[in-house]
This record gives sequence, structure tokens and C-alpha cells, in this order.
Amino acid sequence: MTPELPEEAIELAEAAGRAFDALGGVEVARRAEADPDLRAREVLPVLEQLGVGDLDPRGSGLALAAAAALCEAAGRVVLPYPLAAVLVDDGEGRPTAAIPARSARVDHATVVPSWRVGRLPTGTGTGTGTGGVGTPDAGALGSRLGPFVGDLTLDVGGGAPPLRDLLVQQALVAWTVLGSLGRAVELATEHVLGRIQFGRPLAEFQAVQFHLADAAVAVAGLRELAGFTLWRLERGGDDAIVDVLALRSHLLEVARSVLRSTQQLHGAAGVCDEYDVSVIVRSVQPALRLPAGVDATVDLLVGSVEAFGFVGLFPHGADLRDGGPDRSATW
Amino acid sequence: MDFDLGQDAAALRVRLRRLIDQELPDGFLGAFTDDPADLAVTQAFCRLLAEQGLLTVAWPSEFGGGGGSLWDQTVVREEMWAHHEPRGAQYMGLNWVGPAIMAHGTPEQQARHLPPIAAGEVIWCQGFSEPEAGSDLASLRTRAVPVGDTSGADGWRITGQKIWTSYAGMAQWCIIAARVGPGERHEGITMFLVPADAPGIEVRPIRSMLGPHHLNEVFLDDVFAGPEAVLGELGGGWAVIRTALAHERVGIARYARCERLLSELGRELEPHWGDLPASLHAAWVRALVQVRVARLLAYRTVRAQESGGVPDVAASAARIAVTQCDQSVAEVLCSALEERCLDAGSTAPVHGAVEDHWRYAQASTVSSGTIEIQRSIVAKALLRGERL
Repeated sequence: MTPELPEEAIELAEAAGRAFDALGGVEVARRAEADPDLRAREVLPVLEQLGVGDLDPRGSGLALAAAAALCEAAGRVVLPYPLAAVLVDDGEGRPTAAIPARSARVDHATVVPSWRVGRLPTGTGTGTGTGGVGTPDAGALGSRLGPFVGDLTLDVGGGAPPLRDLLVQQALVAWTVLGSLGRAVELATEHVLGRIQFGRPLAEFQAVQFHLADAAVAVAGLRELAGFTLWRLERGGDDAIVDVLALRSHLLEVARSVLRSTQQLHGAAGVCDEYDVSVIVRSVQPALRLPAGVDATVDLLVGSVEAFGFVGLFPHGADLRDGGPDRSATW
Repeated sequence: MDFDLGQDAAALRVRLRRLIDQELPDGFLGAFTDDPADLAVTQAFCRLLAEQGLLTVAWPSEFGGGGGSLWDQTVVREEMWAHHEPRGAQYMGLNWVGPAIMAHGTPEQQARHLPPIAAGEVIWCQGFSEPEAGSDLASLRTRAVPVGDTSGADGWRITGQKIWTSYAGMAQWCIIAARVGPGERHEGITMFLVPADAPGIEVRPIRSMLGPHHLNEVFLDDVFAGPEAVLGELGGGWAVIRTALAHERVGIARYARCERLLSELGRELEPHWGDLPASLHAAWVRALVQVRVARLLAYRTVRAQESGGVPDVAASAARIAVTQCDQSVAEVLCSALEERCLDAGSTAPVHGAVEDHWRYAQASTVSSGTIEIQRSIVAKALLRGERL
């Protein structure tokens, strides 16, 4: 039992953290909204320097863990780049991403000329759903919650990506948001220690402490689940879709409560872009909505659990009493 | 990264399930039912586990244990709790009283107390909480007064009242926290190992939804404890309590029963699964994920124990997740059964295990330190700059 990320992955994340801080940390997300070209001009070279082009998370367990750690570091500063998708290159230079059931919408659509996109299979399907090669439509949404989100024109003749690629991308998206949530808890902790009200730091109020504890425990649990999912992906079973959807559904629930409480702990400052927490809350929205929000993700999870069960590592059910192989699905 | 507990743990799990299958009556729901035979079942099962080296599988061999890993111990905890704790009232001695005696006891105390625990022959209870000292345990008032001079060399007289004492009516020994000397709060608290039938001890059961024999009041009226009864340093009881609570908080693998019940009830409902509302399907898979997370957080605590620390913050974090999981799974199970969730006994769905689980789950965010105390421990660690 070694649930920790390997040392090499941690070292890469530390180097990435220093590089992202040198870019300005969360400030780079603010600047990119006013200057979207900054992503190609400043962010991409840093990623190249970190070796993103040579890192294939499908290649080995170590590479997968390193990619996850890198994404977590990027999430801490809400790095304005589709790192998880770029890491899952289709071999022809296209990033891979899962798209919604009824559109071909992705974050940072225009930052590359072409995408390989696909839909997660519903129900008991084991192959990929529909998908193909996507070309970005002109311009991005430019909304406050999705400044870089854009739609793709899909050429289904190009072929959907392998399911495994979509699962790896989704796991890496989860690691990215995990980084954002961890940072949000740190920011809330710093804020309540420094903010004096009623003559004492907010941190001394029990109601504040409870919010903080719940948020931190939720993020800690999510991190364990994210690590477990990497391990399941590395083992490469057909049922890894269950684990990835389980991770995503939990991520979405944790994100909703953690972002809400960490923003709340900032008071009015929590909605001001001068404060990093506000930028984090806005910047992660595309990752929480694409390709599916919490209810649609749980719906997908129900279908995959019906197909594969939910056994994972931990055997349960009467079958094992005979000492036989663990065949037990959950129902 | 590797989340596999290994072949030895898998083999141990299979072995335990075989024993449970062979030795426990169908529909067994633990020691605290209306049927007194259930307690006898657990006592016999403990002796059997001991004979096979499975009762104290992870204790060091010099204390009568199997010298196994903490992961072996984890598997035992999971399988026992998943199957309604067939060690009955003995799990407390196994999980933390024994380890506390190993950590803080004299060689004489270890020689006297550890072999009977390892042999499955003794039930321990813990006298911590008091009517005025619940979450605020350090305010306990039970006093131990030295006999003769102030050194305690001639023994102690203990007077006070304990409450919520599990298994006190069936225990042979009790570990009692009492205050010695003039100190306040954590100072002066001392732990005593006292026979439960010592003159001056009176046990009164408390009726509760947990079932008979579980919760009790314990009145201590001038109870004599010899100098050999002091566990750890005089006045150093808080360190023992900290060790004990860290073990206790990680000790109950509630997630394992949650997972088993979700699985068993799922099988029972299978023919009608498609008729259940979609919202229940969603709640079901969410519960499965929540159980997985709780389990992984509990494993994190074991991992911290493995590296030699007292993982009290990690244990509190795990307990927050595990106890909430316990309660939300109870609700999902009851929702799935609809009106049949009110049935109890062997004719009820899953032989009454859902009804039993729901009742027990209501206390999970209170026992072994309330969830509010766990949150305070976690928050204070965060505010000190520690990361979870």
C-alpha cells in the first residue's frame, strides 16, 4: 500500500509550481482574460520547458502520476491552458477532450487549431461514444464564467479518441481542479487568520473553524480518491470508466461545497477579482460544467456501475466467503 | 502508487470470511441484541480467533500477537465490523486498551493484562466520559485520593461517576480516568486499571436506541486501586487518552459495513432495481463513492500509523468522513426499503441489518468524540499551518 505520488512526480510538481509562480501565479489567469494571446506567448513556452511534450500519461504509471502532479500544480494557479487535454495528445498534435452529449464545447478551444474529441459512453457501452476531429469556431464565449470556452465544428469522419484517452484526460482534469480546491482552502485559511472582526481573528470563531475543517477534509478525501483512480487507470481494466466517473462525480460535489465555503469565508472579498479565491472560483467553472455537470455525471456513473459493478480494490459480497475469485458486482 | 493491500491481506480476508460463515449463526447482528445467546456467540468466537492467531494478528509476538502488519489488522477490523462485530464487547480491549498498555504499561501490567486480551478471555470498558465532562473530557471530576501518604505507594481511593460506558455491565476490567492532586484541566489526569467487580463500583444500564447492554452509568464510591493499577505516569493520563483515542477513532471500520449492506441490499432489490426511482439509483452510486472515500481516508490514517506517528489529526479527518458516510448510507438504505425499513428482526429485509445499522449510525457522530470535536482538531491543525 503506497498511496503517495512517487517522488519524481512530486519533484516535477514543485518545479512546475515555481515556474507558474514566476509567471505570476493566479495573476496570469487575470492577465489572460485581457490578453488571450498570452496563453501561447507566455504559458505554452513554460509548459514546453517543463517537458509537457515528452510526457505521455498513457505510457506508464509514473508518467500518469507525473502528469497528475503537474495538473495539480497548474490548478493551484488556475493556469489558463488546457493542460489535461494537451497531455493526452492524439499522436498528431491534437489535444484530446471529452465533450458534452449535445455539443462540441471545450475550454480554451482556440488555443490550438484542431482537437480530438469524444463523448463518454452511456449505459453499458464499453467503447467510445461519438466523436471526431474538431476545429474551433471563430472566437470564444467571452463570458465571465467561460472566457476561453468555445465550440468546435466536428468532423466525425476523423474518428473518436480511444475511451482510455478520454478517461485519462478526465482524471487529469480532476487533478487540475483538485489543485484549485486545495489552494482555495489555503487562501481561506490565510484570510481567516488575518481578518480581525469583533476584536479577534475570524479563525477564532468555531463556526469558521468548522467550515474550514469540512472543506479541508473534503479536499483530502478527494485527493485520496484521485490517487486511487490513477492506480485503477494504470491497471487498465475495462471498468476504469466506473472509477473515473466516480472521481468526477465526487469532484463536482466537493468542488461545489468547497468553493462555496472558501468564498464565503472571504466575505465580500470572495467575489472581488482582486482576491485570488474569486478568480479561482470563476476559472474552474468550465471544468465543472464540461463535459457534464454533477447530475449528468452521476447518471453516467449509474449506467457504468450497472455494467461493471463497483468493486474496485475492495472485495465484498458473499462470493468471497468461498475463497473464490472476486466476481461480485455491487448488484 | 499502489493501493493493493497485498496477497497476505487478501488471504487473511478470505480466511476470516470462511470462519465467519462457519461459526456465526445466520442473521447474526452482534452481541447487543435482545437474545443473550448472541453475547455467548461473540465470546466463543473471540476464543476461536485467538486459538487461530487471528484475534491479535498485528500485536507484537512478545505480547501474544501474530506480529502481522497494520494492514492485516485493518483487514480484521473491516471484516469484523462488516459482519456486525462478532468480537462483541472485546474489540475495545483489542483495538486500543491493549495497545495503550503496550505503550504505557509496566512489564508487570503487560504480563498481567495482555495475555488474557490476546486469548479472547476478557472484556474491557473505558471510564472516560462523565455527566459534566463529555466533549470537554479534560474537565473530568472523578478523583483518586492516595491512601496513606501522598505518593500513592499504598494505593488510591477513586470516587466519581462515569457515563456512556459501553459494555460496563459485562466487563471484567475497566480503564478509568481520574484526577490526582490539585492540577486542572489536562494536569493531574491519571489512568487506572481496575477490576470491574471491585467493591464500590455500581453499574446502571441506560436505555438507548443502540439496544440492551450497551450504554451504562458507572458509579465509583471509594473504589480501591493498588499502586500497580496506575497506567503510565501519575498525572500523565492525557497522553494515554490521546493514544487511546487515536486508536479508537481509526478503530471502527464503519465504512466496511456500509459497503456490505449497500451490496447485500442491492442484491435483494435486484429483481426490482429498474422500478426504483432514478433519484435512488443516483443516491446509491453516490453512497458507494462516499464509502470509497471514507475507506481511503481511513487507510491514510493507517499509513500514518505505519510511519510511527500518533495520527490524531488524520484520524479525526477520517472519522469526520466515516461517520457522515455511516449516517448517509443508513438513509439511502432506508429509502430503498421504503416502509419495510421499519421492520426489525430476522424476517425484515437483510435479516434486520438495515434497521440495526440505522439505529447505530445515529450515535456515530457522537461516540469516541463528537464530530464537532473532530472538526476542531482538524481546524486547529490547519490554523497551525499543518496540511491534511
